Amino acid sequence: MNQRELKELIEFLIEKDIAEFELERGDVKVRIRRGGNQAISPTSVPHFAAPSAPVVAVSGASAHQAPGATEASSPPQQASTAEAEEEKLHRVRSPIVGTFYESPSPGAPPFVKVGDKVDVGQLLCIVEAMKLMNEIESDVRGEIIKKAVNNGEPIEYGQELFVIRPI
Amino acid sequence: MQLLTNHATVILSGTKLAAELGVRPSAVWHSVEQLRALGVAIAGHRGTGYRLQAMPELLLPEMLAPLIQGTIFRDHLHHYYNVGSTSTVAMEAASHGAPEGSVFLAEQQSAGRGRGGHPWHSPRSGIYCSLVLRPTLPPADVLLLALAVGLAVQAAVKELDPALSPDLKWPNDLLLDGKKFCGILAEMNAEPTHVRHVVVGIGVNVNQTSFPHDLEASATSLRMATGKEYSRLTLCAALLKSLDREYRSLRNNPHDAILRRFAERSSTVRGVRVRVEENGGYQGMTEGLDARGFLQVRTQQGLRTVLTGTVRLE
Repeated sequence: MNQRELKELIEFLIEKDIAEFELERGDVKVRIRRGGNQAISPTSVPHFAAPSAPVVAVSGASAHQAPGATEASSPPQQASTAEAEEEKLHRVRSPIVGTFYESPSPGAPPFVKVGDKVDVGQLLCIVEAMKLMNEIESDVRGEIIKKAVNNGEPIEYGQELFVIRPI
Repeated sequence: MQLLTNHATVILSGTKLAAELGVRPSAVWHSVEQLRALGVAIAGHRGTGYRLQAMPELLLPEMLAPLIQGTIFRDHLHHYYNVGSTSTVAMEAASHGAPEGSVFLAEQQSAGRGRGGHPWHSPRSGIYCSLVLRPTLPPADVLLLALAVGLAVQAAVKELDPALSPDLKWPNDLLLDGKKFCGILAEMNAEPTHVRHVVVGIGVNVNQTSFPHDLEASATSLRMATGKEYSRLTLCAALLKSLDREYRSLRNNPHDAILRRFAERSSTVRGVRVRVEENGGYQGMTEGLDARGFLQVRTQQGLRTVLTGTVRLE
C-alpha cells in the first residue's frame, strides 16, 4: 500500500464516518482510528461535526510511514501478545452521537459499575440525542472491566463505552 | 360498551346483556359501575336494565380503527383505561416482538414520564399514545424521527383547528403562547448498525382547564389556548394519520426534506436567544440545524452543537 492509497482510504473513512478500521493483507497491517476514546472537552464540542484527525498506525515491510499523522508502533512481538489479550475483550460502542447517562435519572444509582457481572441483554447505559433515549444493552455475558465515559459526557458515533471480559 | 352504543336509545336488561356477552349478570353490573367511574352516563340499575345516556369520548380501538384506514397503525391498536405509562408497556411489548405500528393508548396514566425521570401529568383530558416502530434505517438516521414526530403533531393540531398555530421548539416540544402542550419522548433499542425497535411516546394536553401549581407557568392545553373543547378521538386519528405520513417520508428520503420543513415550521430554530442545559450550561443564539438535525447555537466561544433536549427560550 502506498501513501496515495493510504490517503484515499483515510478520506473514504472520514466521508463514511467510520470510526475504526483494520486491514491485514499479507505482511501489511493497517489500523486507523478516528476520534478515539479520549474524552472530549466542552471546548471541542463545536467542532465535533468536522472529521477528527485520524490516528494511523501502519506496520509491515512494504508500508510507508505516513508523515505527520503516524503513531509510533510498538515492536511486532509485543504488539501481537497485547493484541491477543485485546481480542478476548469485548468493547461496547455507541450507535449514535449523544450524551452518556450511567443511570435512569439524575441521582439514581448507575445501571452497572466496574466489577459487575452482566448478562446478555442487560441494560448498561443510556445515550441520549434529540430526546431520543438509546438503551445500550450488553451483547455478551461477562465482567465489566472498564467504563470509558463519565456520566453526562458527550460521545461520538462508535465511541467505546464499556470494556467487558466475556465469561 | 359496544352493545350499549349500538342500542343507545333503548333500555337493555342486565340479563340480556349478560347473555349477549356470555358473562354472569353480576359481571355486567360490575362493568357498568366501572364505566360510570370513567364518566359514562348510564341510566338504570340491575332490576330495570341499562340505557346509555351520555358517553365521554374514549379512544377505543373500534372507534379509532375506521378513522385511520390505510395506516400502519390500524390493526395494532391497544387501549387502556388506566396504565402506569404507555411507553413502558410499549417497550415491554416491543422487546417481546410487538409488530411495527403497534399503538398503546391510555385514557389516563398514573406514572406518565418525560425526559430524565420527570413525571408527565396525565389526567383523563389528554391523549397518551406510544408507538412501536421498527425502522430499517441506520441509528443515526433514526434520530430524525424525533423531529418528524414533532412535525406530525403540529400538522395534526392545525388540521383539528386551523385557528391553532403551534410552534415547534427543537427537538420536538410543541408550544402555544410560549407554553408547552405536547411532549414527546422516544426510546430506542439499537446495535451500532441496526435498530431493533423505537418506542415514541406522545402526550398531548387537549381539554385540561387547569394544571397543578408547579406546571401553571409552563404548561397549557388546546382548550386553554382557544376556550374550545376538542374531540380527542378526532385529534388522535389525525395524529396517527399524520405520523404515518411522516414515517413513510422519513423511510423514503431521510435528511433534507425533514430538516428543511423543520426549519420552516419552527420559529425558534434560528435567531432566538436560548439557554442550553448540557455540558455545564451555556447561552447563545440559535443558528439552524446541522446536516444531522442537531441544533447549532452561536456562543461567545463559537458555534456549539446541542446534542440532547433541554433548550430554554430566553
